[in-house]
Amino acid sequence: MSRFEIYSPEGLRVDGRRWNELRRFECRINTHPDSSDGSSYVEQGNSKVICIVNGPMEPSSKAEMSTSKATLKISLNVTPFSSIDRKKRSKNERRIQEIVTSLKRTFEQSIIVNKYPRTTISITLHVLALDGGLLSSITNAITLALIDAGIAMYDYISSVSAGFYNNTPLLDLNQLEESDVSFLTIGVVGKSEKLALLLLENKIPLDQLESVLAIAIAGGHRIRDLMDKEVRRHGDLRLSKLANK
Amino acid sequence: MAKGIEVSINEKSFVFDALKQGIRLDGRKLEDFRNVDITLGDEYGYVDVRLGKTRVVARISAEISTPFEDRPFEGLFTVSTEISPMASAMFENQRQSDDELLISRAIEKAVRRSGALDLESLCIIAGSKCWSIRADVHFLDYDGGFIDASCIAVMTGLQHFRKNDITVSGEQIVIHSVEEREPVELSVLHVPICVTFAFFNPEGVEENIKGESNNEIYIVDTTLEEDLLKDGVLTVAVNKNREVCQISKAGGLPMDALTLMDCGRKAYDIAVELTNQIKKLLEADYKRRNEGIQYKLRAENDRITVE
Amino acid sequence: MDILSVSKGSGFAYEDAEVGSDEDVDILIDEDETRGDDVQLDGSVKTSVVTPGELVTDDPIWMRGHGTYFLGTNTYSSVAGTISRVNRLLSVKPIRGRYEPETGDHIVGRIAEVGQKRWKVDIGAKTHAILMLGSVNLPGGVLRRKSESDELQMRNFLKEGDLLNCEVQSLFQDGSASLHTRSLKYGKLRNGYFISVPSSLIVRAKNHSHSLPGGASVIIGVNGYIWLRKTTEDISQANNTSLSKNATAISAKGQYNVGSGSVSITRLEEESSWEIYSDVNDEISSTLRSTITRYANSIKALAFCEIGISVERIISAYEASMAYEDSGKLVDRETMETIGQQVINGEKYRGQ
Repeated sequence: MSRFEIYSPEGLRVDGRRWNELRRFECRINTHPDSSDGSSYVEQGNSKVICIVNGPMEPSSKAEMSTSKATLKISLNVTPFSSIDRKKRSKNERRIQEIVTSLKRTFEQSIIVNKYPRTTISITLHVLALDGGLLSSITNAITLALIDAGIAMYDYISSVSAGFYNNTPLLDLNQLEESDVSFLTIGVVGKSEKLALLLLENKIPLDQLESVLAIAIAGGHRIRDLMDKEVRRHGDLRLSKLANK
Repeated sequence: MAKGIEVSINEKSFVFDALKQGIRLDGRKLEDFRNVDITLGDEYGYVDVRLGKTRVVARISAEISTPFEDRPFEGLFTVSTEISPMASAMFENQRQSDDELLISRAIEKAVRRSGALDLESLCIIAGSKCWSIRADVHFLDYDGGFIDASCIAVMTGLQHFRKNDITVSGEQIVIHSVEEREPVELSVLHVPICVTFAFFNPEGVEENIKGESNNEIYIVDTTLEEDLLKDGVLTVAVNKNREVCQISKAGGLPMDALTLMDCGRKAYDIAVELTNQIKKLLEADYKRRNEGIQYKLRAENDRITVE
Repeated sequence: MDILSVSKGSGFAYEDAEVGSDEDVDILIDEDETRGDDVQLDGSVKTSVVTPGELVTDDPIWMRGHGTYFLGTNTYSSVAGTISRVNRLLSVKPIRGRYEPETGDHIVGRIAEVGQKRWKVDIGAKTHAILMLGSVNLPGGVLRRKSESDELQMRNFLKEGDLLNCEVQSLFQDGSASLHTRSLKYGKLRNGYFISVPSSLIVRAKNHSHSLPGGASVIIGVNGYIWLRKTTEDISQANNTSLSKNATAISAKGQYNVGSGSVSITRLEEESSWEIYSDVNDEISSTLRSTITRYANSIKALAFCEIGISVERIISAYEASMAYEDSGKLVDRETMETIGQQVINGEKYRGQ
């Protein structure tokens, strides 16, 4: 299986990172100010995601309206050109559907939904490039876009993946590592150690789980800070412009 | 969870207050799993699991087919879970709800993706012939815990199932009937057991997000009513080798990481217990089947043993 | 627990190196702690940004307003925005967000749905606003009773897609608005062009309906919907609240005599006729059309530069745009930036 060394004896991974290092994380908010209420663009390593939030707005049909809270609509589009094997992924694919459901349930808890009765918040995601960490990059993108849209949230949800290989936890896996290493993806609430989201699909020894979770939570906090920095940067920019008013 | 079933605020506060005092409606403790009643059928691979009022039947079958092109050395294994309104009126025909999706994905991930069944052992002739094993899960009655029950059913079924023996000569495959040759069992590598926890938040959301108290309650193996009221859910699949095969906490109430670790350990204890129960049952069944010809000739049958 | 805390300090060297001017985690936490004090000490509204989940203050003296949530004595922000303090009310104003209607706002809306005795109006807010049949002027004057036949012919007054100019009458419990057009300056919009800008850019003023140089006039809806149109007699006399059939019919400016249009208030209401629900545009000359386009593009330039929009600025941007012959050029990025800069510079020069 291993055509390459996942974790060298010197402690380096395929892309030269150490075990506890994140990939390059870059994000922008308010990337599509005219077409949406909130938007964001997240690059996590080579994964690139655009998120567009519209709402809270009048629901398109009465059926999806709740009199007590906002309804969330998430649509996830993994573009065919996002991965190496060009393959059309249907929106109805069960894996995609599962991710959408998980995200919906995560953000229903994080958005103060009862502030927006009789409305819909529609979230549209486009995955432009995929190099591992699908769930984590889209979770981060949604958090940023929601904040940009001025939607009330209890706290940030920051997400990152972490794997376990040869007795070493590895933080923020890329596509190559994901195929060989069993990993979990978490969504951390703000600076706490509370997890809104926790998904693990492969085998990890129970006794090692704690160390993997620990590094993942620390990575999540780090990503929260980076997102927070971008939100503040953008906010200050906005304020300086509004000072002209 | 369900359309059509609504729980009143009074009922909800009743359940919540009881939980706060560590009592559940059916008298169990918070961390108690319901008694699992597993019945093996006369045929190989037929398992009937009852978990409280929940009833799930799994049927394993095998046929010979062609492997996927990109995986010539592996056999096929499919888990089919279709939840019909037979189980409960809350499930609709044809349309799959979010919950049904999560249930079937959880079973699939726990059983199939964790490699519980050795797919390479199902290969007959590389690239052209292999066994295709199919697990059909039927949901007969619903009172919570579908994931747990169906996982037990499928895993017991796989261990119980015997496929016909075959002989390969060149491209020719001869399938021997059960009478002709003793059928062979599947190679099951490990037995993942799913345990589902439900979370309840007795205080406000603010306390959950910002508070230090970690007062959230978690309970094992919910009944329908508890299921309707839960704030969040966690499914852990673990085997007795202390390997976690799957964790799924798809949103819901944010929970402290250490609590989740506790859940993992609890799940392990339950999994060990259930694995042993399944093992004993299978041994008993094996013994019964191998009593020899006397077993087939004896006058009594299962039906008379009605009390 | 110990593992969790140990790993927090270590690592992430890669990220630090990459981002360069990265703030340390600890600094952020310090900020969190001091922020509450800032509010209490100087009492002024902080200009820097708070983000969701951030502790705003731990002083229980504050009343918690919009954009906050609390636990015990701690108040946290739920949006990214600035802290605003009105007496003892502490709220966080989001930087961006949908228009939040307030009673008395002069807004422009578009009919989304015709319902039982009411219209649903899209005003760019979280939910559609409601315009009751009883809150509009119908042909025949204000004192006229609304009959069943009016209910049946609601589409003849306003139908889906029609734009109108109205005022927020009141707010419902859930924050959605109820509108009215019971003034002659409100009603259906025609003879012009619709632009939408973020509502946060609109500078609230005493009057939101203005005549502009060049024969155009503008309604700057507080909700960010702007209507540019040809100035007709009734509009230019809007402050006089006169609407006479004759005046509308005579489109040429010179022929209008001051005083002949000013009718008594009761008379005037009788005068309000089907004319106000007309679906036919007046004759608009091509020069006026290009003037309106130029205004529209000037407003877009202001919005692009995120400059607050007021009538003075629209005129100033319009004047600045005169440097460009072709008003189609105005939507170029550089041009919009130049115009925005000129508007700001002009204001500084005049000492505003």
